Amino acid sequence: MDLSNKRILVVGASSETGETIVKQILSLGANVIMVDCFEDKVKDIFNKSSNPQLSYHTFDFYNNAEIEVNIKHLNMTFGAFDGFVYCAGKGGVRPLQLTKNAFIHDMMNANLYSFVEIIRCVTKKGFFNNGGSMVAISSVSSIKGLKSKISYSASKAALDASIRGMAAELSEKKIRVNSILKGWVTSDMKLDFIQDNMELNKNEDFEKQILGVIEPIEIANTVCFLLSDATKTITGASIIHDGGYSI
Amino acid sequence: MQHLVSFSDKLIMVTGASAGIGQETAILLSNLGAKLVLIATNEERLQNTMNMLVGNGHKYFCYDLADLENIENKVNEIVSICGKFDGFVNCVGIRSRRPLSLLSIKEIRNVMDVNFGSFIEMTRCITKKANFNEGLSIVGVSSIASHAGGVSVTAYAASKAAVEAAVRCLSKELANKKIRLNTVVPSQINTPEYANLLQMSGGVDNVLGRQYLGLGDPSDVANAIAFLLCPASKFITGISLPVDGGYLSS
Repeated sequence: MDLSNKRILVVGASSETGETIVKQILSLGANVIMVDCFEDKVKDIFNKSSNPQLSYHTFDFYNNAEIEVNIKHLNMTFGAFDGFVYCAGKGGVRPLQLTKNAFIHDMMNANLYSFVEIIRCVTKKGFFNNGGSMVAISSVSSIKGLKSKISYSASKAALDASIRGMAAELSEKKIRVNSILKGWVTSDMKLDFIQDNMELNKNEDFEKQILGVIEPIEIANTVCFLLSDATKTITGASIIHDGGYSI
Repeated sequence: MQHLVSFSDKLIMVTGASAGIGQETAILLSNLGAKLVLIATNEERLQNTMNMLVGNGHKYFCYDLADLENIENKVNEIVSICGKFDGFVNCVGIRSRRPLSLLSIKEIRNVMDVNFGSFIEMTRCITKKANFNEGLSIVGVSSIASHAGGVSVTAYAASKAAVEAAVRCLSKELANKKIRLNTVVPSQINTPEYANLLQMSGGVDNVLGRQYLGLGDPSDVANAIAFLLCPASKFITGISLPVDGGYLSS
């Protein structure tokens, strides 16, 4: 795989998986613009890297009103993009009786609305090159049900459905849109809501992942594969990368 | 169907009952002995549906399910008047056709609120202990858009996929209350909405080319809903049942 001469926008770059994705894209020769809500984290990644092909920008992309102006700024600063990776988003578990509308909205906003709004803005004329590729990190929760993951599962399924719609629409510009349905990744296991989930589902969930827990680099490899021209006829697909969880 | 499925003395709520699949479902369920509670926004059309029902004791309530905040009060009011529910069919939904460049966040939110948020809130309220009888079955109406991408239906497809994903989670969560949840996944069905679609497209419908059993009738979907509501399907939960004339497998 070769990503030389490509300019890739990575939104949500400061998470452990996001950082790994950034490093892997860089190692394959592309220019990377990291975007995150948290300046300290993304600046730290930037400072630790000596790669001149790495840049960063911070803004609150969960605030929908901020997206259009910031995407314009990125376009003016860096030029048109060849790739976009969305590894931002939120998780959380709540039983139905506590799944009120505000909670649903918050999850949908992070996992769907911001993603679609970024694509709407970044596909304006001159912002994204023909033949470009977009990749979103989704989850097997999109296709498999678990107790108390109503909002999270729904938001990821909505994300996957949205990529199919956008893939159909953006095919005219030869822009591809795909997602990765990831299973449990080592970096996830440290999050509080995962601990809650382990309690709720009595660990049965982890045993279903027969190849074990995934390392972030493996997700990064699948992202790079989908960004590369090796997949120029793959679009609207949700690639399952789950260690056998869903079989 | 008449022998397999019976709803004598069962109370079933149908939202979006004033037209199309919701109306047809209400009519079929009344023929099968159910007492119905119908919900929709347009009173005139609701009364029209009421006039087509068989049997007595049916009730209707005008309510706009986009008003998510007041659903709980409305459900409590309905239960105090009509009693506990044995079934809930969610047929409420709005279609949205907008190219990406015109797909504002406001539009996505509105579609998600009506098609997904109201379904979750209704389910949350109906599944409270005092509001349902043992064996409650819930059926949501999804769409093939949830599975197959289409141009300009991004928000609609996302909302329907969200419904199906939530049903998979809820069927697991509510199994200990012996509540079942499923969705039906219709393709092109001969409803007023479909007529509008054809009008907009100048009579062209590319989907039908892959829908090898032809255009569906609302009764095809209503039959599938009735089956998933009744005890004959008591071992089926968390599924998305295509009623699509072969579209998704073609």
